[in-house]
Amino acid sequence: MEIKKTALAGTLESSDIQIMLSKGTNGIQIDLDSEVAKSFGDDIRRVITTVLTDFNITDVNVKAVDKGALDCVIKARTIAAAQRALDTVNEPAWEVL
Amino acid sequence: MAGQVVDLYLNQEGTFNEWQTFLQSLGISNFSTTETSVIDETVGIFDGDRLVATGSVSNNVLKYIGVCNQNQTQGTYFNMIVTELLARLAQRGIFHVFVFTKPQYSQSFQHLGFSELAQSADGALLETGDVTIQTYLDTIPQLPGQSIAGIVMNANPFTRGHRYLVERAAEEADAVYVFVVNTDSSLFTTEERVGLVTAGLADLNNVLVVSGGDYMVSYATFPAYFLTSPEKEITYQTTLDARIFKNWVAKERHITTRYVGSEPRSRTTAIYNSVLQRELPPEVAVKVIERRSANHDVISARTVREMIAADDLTHLAVLVPDTTAKYIQEHLTDLQKRIKKGMKIDGN
Repeated sequence: MEIKKTALAGTLESSDIQIMLSKGTNGIQIDLDSEVAKSFGDDIRRVITTVLTDFNITDVNVKAVDKGALDCVIKARTIAAAQRALDTVNEPAWEVL
Repeated sequence: MAGQVVDLYLNQEGTFNEWQTFLQSLGISNFSTTETSVIDETVGIFDGDRLVATGSVSNNVLKYIGVCNQNQTQGTYFNMIVTELLARLAQRGIFHVFVFTKPQYSQSFQHLGFSELAQSADGALLETGDVTIQTYLDTIPQLPGQSIAGIVMNANPFTRGHRYLVERAAEEADAVYVFVVNTDSSLFTTEERVGLVTAGLADLNNVLVVSGGDYMVSYATFPAYFLTSPEKEITYQTTLDARIFKNWVAKERHITTRYVGSEPRSRTTAIYNSVLQRELPPEVAVKVIERRSANHDVISARTVREMIAADDLTHLAVLVPDTTAKYIQEHLTDLQKRIKKGMKIDGN
């Protein structure tokens, strides 16, 4: 699936994560900004990558600003951003949810 | 529990005064109409009936961000305000966002994913979003050679004066980048200006015309170029603009000399030239080329615009190359229509 437009989901508030997806040409590129990147960076990237892969998104630039979000929050925000970026907000992706 | 983010309507006098008093208490002092009239939206957070945080947007620039952290965890209100402003811009399809701020707040924005483009004693400029300055620089091919020149021009429209400046650079340097200002705030649109610059320089084969993107004299980095502003404001913005040119553009594309025309007519550009001479050396040399004259006066794009407004193109060919003259003659009615609609021709 191709990114149709840049999309944003989530907030910069404590315990949340803000995800921005935009068109990419070089696989899934994640630019992660997190105070806990050292300990949990790989986990955060894995959750984001899994969701994007479930959406069949292969080339995308991800800008993620994490404020200590739990995995379920990261997943929810990535799904919201992906649906906006793919312009499929009105067609819930049940198999991903 | 933190409050809710609400709209502030600054056109209501009471709201404006409360907002201004709050920001003044935090040390923000510039409330000139040129600054406040370009605000698109303002939001705030109230604790009871007391304003405790606010922020505004103008185009893709965050402005007037102020937060009082009394009775609240450090950063909570600030994060809420910035989140709200970014979400509102995203709704409008704007994802690439800039902020001018005091140097001491640069770190707070960096915690929210912004990256710093330049800093001076008076301020810092940061950006965030789906593209960065690196994305922009990657679109510019590297020109070959030892000495590479850079020229930034609005070219509203392209004159024989611009042509002369580029010719001089092209003779002295191995290759020349001509960056055309990318903000649509002039009589000639960006597309027209780029087109006329490219056409007017087509015969010079060591010259490359590229867009100045959001980083050279753009509405984001140097709003004072497009609005009448006090001298202090111009110096502050041009210092950041000069540092971005030196630390990013010139560094990345190995530009050794910046060429500018001497500036007897425009105050803003004159200040800009002196700031460039202070900021760019020793890494990037600045060469000021004496402006070309015609009919005992320097060639100026403003004179060309005045001719268009006055509907008198008798001396047009003296000031502009054939390519520009032809375009103006063919689009005269349309250009005059824009001036009648209120497009200013006396600025830059």
